[in-house]
Amino acid sequence: MHKLLAGVAVLGLWLGCLAQIQGQEMTEMYIPIGQSPGVSGRSSLVGAIESVNVQNQTLAVSGPSGIQAIVLTDRTRIWLDRTLARLPNQIGTLANLQKGLHVEVKLRDADQKRVAEWVKVQVTESGAPARKP
Amino acid sequence: MERRACRRRALEPICIPRPLVAAASLLVLAACNASPEQDLVAKGRQIFFNETFQGNGRTCGTCHPAENNLTIDPAFIATRPPDDPLFVAEFNPDLRKNFENPRLMRQFGLILENLDGFADLDKKFVMRGVPHILGLRTSVDSLQGLRTGWSGDGAPGDGSLRSFATGAVIQHFTRTLNRIAGQDFRLPTEQELDAIEAFSLSLGRQQDLTLPLPLKGITPKRGQEIFLDNSLGKCNRCHVNAGATANFGGGSIGNANFNTGVENLPDRPADLSGELNPPDDGFRTPGDGTFNTPPLVEAAESGPFFHNNAIETIEGAVAFYDGEAFNNSPAGKLLAAADPNGVGIELDGTQIVAIAAFLRVINAIENIRQSVELLESSRNKGIARRAEAKELIKRSLNETQDSIRVLEAGGLHPEAVARLREAQALAKKAARNLLFRDRLTKQAIEEQNKARAQLVEST
Repeated sequence: MHKLLAGVAVLGLWLGCLAQIQGQEMTEMYIPIGQSPGVSGRSSLVGAIESVNVQNQTLAVSGPSGIQAIVLTDRTRIWLDRTLARLPNQIGTLANLQKGLHVEVKLRDADQKRVAEWVKVQVTESGAPARKP
Repeated sequence: MERRACRRRALEPICIPRPLVAAASLLVLAACNASPEQDLVAKGRQIFFNETFQGNGRTCGTCHPAENNLTIDPAFIATRPPDDPLFVAEFNPDLRKNFENPRLMRQFGLILENLDGFADLDKKFVMRGVPHILGLRTSVDSLQGLRTGWSGDGAPGDGSLRSFATGAVIQHFTRTLNRIAGQDFRLPTEQELDAIEAFSLSLGRQQDLTLPLPLKGITPKRGQEIFLDNSLGKCNRCHVNAGATANFGGGSIGNANFNTGVENLPDRPADLSGELNPPDDGFRTPGDGTFNTPPLVEAAESGPFFHNNAIETIEGAVAFYDGEAFNNSPAGKLLAAADPNGVGIELDGTQIVAIAAFLRVINAIENIRQSVELLESSRNKGIARRAEAKELIKRSLNETQDSIRVLEAGGLHPEAVARLREAQALAKKAARNLLFRDRLTKQAIEEQNKARAQLVEST
């Protein structure tokens, strides 16, 4: 019985880790800014980058409800949305996050620290990052 | 003398009695009186089977065909014409490389997925079977979070079933490997996602069984006992009531992911083919080796089994849990840790066959339930919607064929099979016969019920 309870406890811990389910990351990369199902217009932040602190890995984004501070981690995905340029979207880096760029940020669920799960950055026809439209 | 609904015989070649006209009108009205939810499901069905999203020609139904339990297997694939969009990698030059592996698709029903990213298409991919999507209502909204696809993380966006179609379009519908929205495909609209979700949730069972069932037949009955025995079969731990939820004694934990060691099976057919078949690490990127628990009621009709179609028969799938790959896996060790004797799952051949027989019988019972439901629906369609009625009968025939197949392949309940064949013959006649359709449909339902009575005591 003890073994069973121990097993259940281990399982519970393990399942607890799974409770924070995120959307599939791979196909998300190809979804243009503002079109992520169940996320865009609901829980994501769309706006322009106000400032970037590469050292602290933070980002300030100006959206409809003002400027919001975002924390980036090593697990945050950054994607270049090149849909408007009719080019395939690409994986980006911190270096692609520059002031004035149009971005969409998805925060981790139930996260009080405003940690970004992913950031999409819009890129123009020339392939250069796009300013806020 | 009864008044006639026609004014002049010259203008109206057939005179119809007024009561009949009134009755037919009522039937038409009743048939047209669909609820908003039914309308959404109907819209979702139309999108699911017909909408290509301006992509490579595939629809959701290409890999989830209605006539094959919403999944594909090598036998079904062999019936498709060469220009079927399923084979788009064979005739579209832009998709010839790194989109599918036609050999693994045709031989083992495997589809290519880039679950670990699109950066290295030559090497980074997994080959997975197509899960049936029956009974989603019972499994997808798990207490542990949203679950879609073989590893439970198949949907982009918020990870919900509603969002699943968006990811599927990007992965499977694209015209080129650039995957540019608006150029290689269009993404589903919000309304389309709502409709596809409603349709998906309408498929198959809407609730789990309550076991044990008062089954007839020695072997299936014993199979059910072993299935439910938490010290022998232990199946009911992760497949409560033969569904897709788990309970380890502290209440339901919902639909969960487990690492059952399927990836460690020796001699997996796709590996033996010599084709590149990278390991599949399951949930998340990088993966944790876990995969989602599928429901078992529909299992017998929807093989091959497991995420990689590693095993062809339901008997083989049950036998997997008696093997080393499972018993050395994290899930197998968990069961062993909970066992007073430290045993995971240890079954003999007769017990394996008995569990499979049980699964075959509950699958057939579900087929019969659906057949009867479809036939009843066809009777309610009225004269004006006879095309819809015929379609419902056709779907009922598919269900009946499945029930015959799963029972016959296990050598089970030949009397029930005879009744099902009779029901099938009557339903076929009903589909062709306008005048006596209702009577023939009613008789087909009676035969279905008699077949069911051979499988399980009436409650």
